[in-house]
Amino acid sequence: MRLRRPELHTLAGAYALDAVPEADRARFERHLARCRACAREQRELREATARLAGAVAADPPAELVERVIAAAAQTRQLPPATGPAPAWPARLIHQVWNARRPPGPWRARRRRLALALAAVFLAAAAASGAIALTAEHNLGAAQQSDHAIAEVLNAPDAVMLTSRVKAGGAATIVMSHRDHALVFTTAGLPPLPGGRGYQLWLMGPHGDRSAGLLPAPHNGMTSPVIATGLAAADSVALTVEPAAGSGHPTSSPILMLSLTA
Amino acid sequence: MFGVVRTVVRDPSQAEEVLQEVLLEVWRGASRFKPGRGSALAWMTTIAHRRAIDRVRAENRSAERQLRAARHAVAYDEVAETVEARLDRERVRRCLGSLTRLQCESVTLAYYGGYTFREVAALLGVPEGTVKTRMRDGLIRLRDCLGADQ
Repeated sequence: MRLRRPELHTLAGAYALDAVPEADRARFERHLARCRACAREQRELREATARLAGAVAADPPAELVERVIAAAAQTRQLPPATGPAPAWPARLIHQVWNARRPPGPWRARRRRLALALAAVFLAAAAASGAIALTAEHNLGAAQQSDHAIAEVLNAPDAVMLTSRVKAGGAATIVMSHRDHALVFTTAGLPPLPGGRGYQLWLMGPHGDRSAGLLPAPHNGMTSPVIATGLAAADSVALTVEPAAGSGHPTSSPILMLSLTA
Repeated sequence: MFGVVRTVVRDPSQAEEVLQEVLLEVWRGASRFKPGRGSALAWMTTIAHRRAIDRVRAENRSAERQLRAARHAVAYDEVAETVEARLDRERVRRCLGSLTRLQCESVTLAYYGGYTFREVAALLGVPEGTVKTRMRDGLIRLRDCLGADQ
């Protein structure tokens, strides 16, 4: 049964639910391409269906995520279409793809970086579909910190660790002892009341050093922050502090991970 | 994304296959995601749901799918595992409760059950036109309820 044109409009809800049979799907899509109001409505309805998806969010088996990460490392991303600044994973990848070839085993380095980025990106996507894809901060600062982050991810001794956070959510760490630095990102940390923030620390024989506050999460995920001055026997820790940050931890860590090799 | 794929596809090994395809599609396309055209969450869940639907429509329907429909109400209770998901699930459940019965059934059978609007109409014994409008009205009401709730 073919639908007459005026009836196409009424398909908006069914289309957003992917409940339109194949034959009518293509016709509705042609209609969408011509009707701006319909396209706008479709975007709004998709936000509602995304919440239906969020309501059944679940963690996938760890082996599956590992398998996908390995596959992603071999899969080149599509170059960005023209438009707003690309997301941080894509920005970092581009920085590496477009860099002049450094000396040494370039292919292996590039693969390692892709692997680390894919891990951070996909672990969050698989669980909640939540990823910080928009560049919300100053691009100049972002590029500078991206460069430092890319250095760590690209280090020949870079190691990746993931850990559950006591309060909920998970943290992913990529560290390089050669660079004395680590990159830290989280997904699914519980939102904090106003006036409180998550603060990152390096703790060890050299005392407790603040590595700064985590940025506000975007869709449940914090964009990567870099902690420098990493010493051999350090642990990394996360505490809840006043939003302005503390000189020393004032609450017990919700994450404490030894970084000894 | 795994949750929605598993809910629609049901079979665990097939759900994993679909999720793998979806994640790679997201990975490949991440740099083409346009923030102005909706949230990252909507972008990714749209891909995940559509691939899950493609998979169940490709497999043979009939008995197994009927069973799945009967089970999906249970699955909905089982799945939410993360803290954020739990909070969101409560909101979504409350907002689904604010829909009319027919709106709610049309939306959930289509989204979680993977049925087309024609199949939903047949299952519920109501005209197709009614199901289509209930789906649209239901989603609009859901969106307004969830938006006002944040």
